[in-house]
Amino acid sequence: MTRPSDIKPREGDLPGSKFDDFEIGAKLPETRFTITPDIVAEYARAVESDPRGFEIDGKRAALPSVLFVYLMSVFYRRYPPAQGGIMAGNRMAFFSPIWADEDTEIVGTGQVEEKFTKKGRNYIRYSAVFHRADNGQKIAEAVNTSTFPN
Amino acid sequence: MNKKYPITQEMIDRYGVINGDNDIIHYDHDYAVSRGFKGPIAHGLMVSGYAIDMACRKWGKDFFYKGEIDVRFRGPVIPGDTVDIVIDDGSLVASVEDGEALVGKIGLRG
Repeated sequence: MTRPSDIKPREGDLPGSKFDDFEIGAKLPETRFTITPDIVAEYARAVESDPRGFEIDGKRAALPSVLFVYLMSVFYRRYPPAQGGIMAGNRMAFFSPIWADEDTEIVGTGQVEEKFTKKGRNYIRYSAVFHRADNGQKIAEAVNTSTFPN
Repeated sequence: MNKKYPITQEMIDRYGVINGDNDIIHYDHDYAVSRGFKGPIAHGLMVSGYAIDMACRKWGKDFFYKGEIDVRFRGPVIPGDTVDIVIDDGSLVASVEDGEALVGKIGLRG
């Protein structure tokens, strides 16, 4: 089991990244984690969903957004977060299920796509892709835009 | 389809535990107020998670293979708010009494 807190630098633990630190095109380090049935159930309860997941062809699938709680790990492992970050937008596309009743090792990769200032706020946009570690099957891809106070 | 979610600080805290963050804007009332909010704000992806749950019920198996969500976070959700999430013809709006919290698209690709 990999809890997000096992791999995600937490606000306040390290000096927060500054806007000048973010480098457009920077590759984000490969992030490996294992989603277990316990994580699937805990996440579902946290978003008022069914901890048993959803039935697909006789199997139980996790709520696909369970990846949301790992999403920022990919970014923060290169750029530790400052306090006060706020998410401005998020896109995620899903390609294959994470099964609710088995362990799934996942590899996340990504890169910084863009940085810009708008109405006095500094924004960072980065992309991430998540694949199964065992067979390389794509599970999801995301583009996230967040603003940080420094 | 639509669904309403009354938001409490306990729900935000519970999401924060699995999310593994320590961003005090979600937990520290005074800090959140100093940043211009009425109180600690819910995680945007927590509210998005509610919409994903609704989408899985609406589109079933297809959403797990061809589903997509694309949102902008427009305004805060704080404890005491009730979030009203509406999915209609591919559009997604989550609103609270003070206005829109999240707007965007949700549905199947292609």
